[in-house]
Amino acid sequence: MKKAVLVIVTILTLCSFKSESNVGIPSGEKLVFAGSYNMSGLMTQLAQVTLSTDIVTTSKNAYLHLNCELATYAKWDKFFKIRDLYESYVDPITLKPSLYKRSIDEGGYIKKEKYVFKGNSVTSTTKKRTTPETTKTFTIGASTQDVVSIMYKLRTMDLSKMKTGQAQSFTIVFDETQIPVTVKLLGMETVSAGNLGSKNCYKLSIGAKTDVLKGKDKNLIYLTADAKKVPALMKFSIPVGTGQLALTSASGI
Amino acid sequence: MRKTFIILAILLTILSVIFSALPLGTLALAPIVLALIAIFIAFKNSEIDQRKLPKRLFIVAYLCAIVVVGKTFLMKDKVAKDTKFEQQKVETKQEAKKDLEDLEKDLK
Repeated sequence: MKKAVLVIVTILTLCSFKSESNVGIPSGEKLVFAGSYNMSGLMTQLAQVTLSTDIVTTSKNAYLHLNCELATYAKWDKFFKIRDLYESYVDPITLKPSLYKRSIDEGGYIKKEKYVFKGNSVTSTTKKRTTPETTKTFTIGASTQDVVSIMYKLRTMDLSKMKTGQAQSFTIVFDETQIPVTVKLLGMETVSAGNLGSKNCYKLSIGAKTDVLKGKDKNLIYLTADAKKVPALMKFSIPVGTGQLALTSASGI
Repeated sequence: MRKTFIILAILLTILSVIFSALPLGTLALAPIVLALIAIFIAFKNSEIDQRKLPKRLFIVAYLCAIVVVGKTFLMKDKVAKDTKFEQQKVETKQEAKKDLEDLEKDLK
């Protein structure tokens, strides 16, 4: 289950291409997904995933707050309650992260992480329920993103210039380490996008040098082929099974 | 043969009831379908005066199917209101604001 949650959030947030033109992510955007897991060949809805944005101001700067929430549906709460929160505070224009926070509660397993980005270094603070707080500082590349901001970064890219089969490499930081990830354009496909109706989408395959993702071209993300590039559908394949996140409603886009 | 399928039908029907009560969605249809198959075979292998039990099992499995299909189409999945989680979101945002202020001071 924990792996599934990790993959859901990772797939939700993976992807980075070198930006050709930043369209900008609007504040006040809210995307709601229904998360399903394949149980014995049948997709069973487990959780709701919500991606939202808002502006947070300090005395000197304004940051775009990218928020990703995962909560199990009420009917599952008695069996396995999940309340996960993934947040990134980024520059509204460049989407470069300044602060990344992760707070997970998965069936009683509690973990809190905080990554502070200072130039080419990250100071991470991790606290699990039963273990004392640990702090670590590690170096990152100039274009390394966190797992939340990377998703939004992808949406600002010009995918129309990519050819089918073309891949891009990038780096994300997760679990106090950098993970190289590849994103490949597989083509176009029409999928249902909740209240947006059926949409023609870019079909992207995500590959990572990790044991968490399984299969070739089985971890997919579909972005609407328009200026907004709304993630309409995400499919994931992990060692313990497969699942998907389907967009149910989009507002403020 | 009849006895085997009667036992199988009983076990699968019990499983169907349990799965129907749990929030498993359409996954609960799996034991129901298997139960109906076992009940049908048991029914076919039963003498006319022995068909009371398969008939009763069929009614139970059939009701389970109605419950599962009804729950799937009539009940909307929703997230429970969680005040603790809402409070946590507010607090984490306030902490983040403070962390960003500290970061700005460090970068000065």
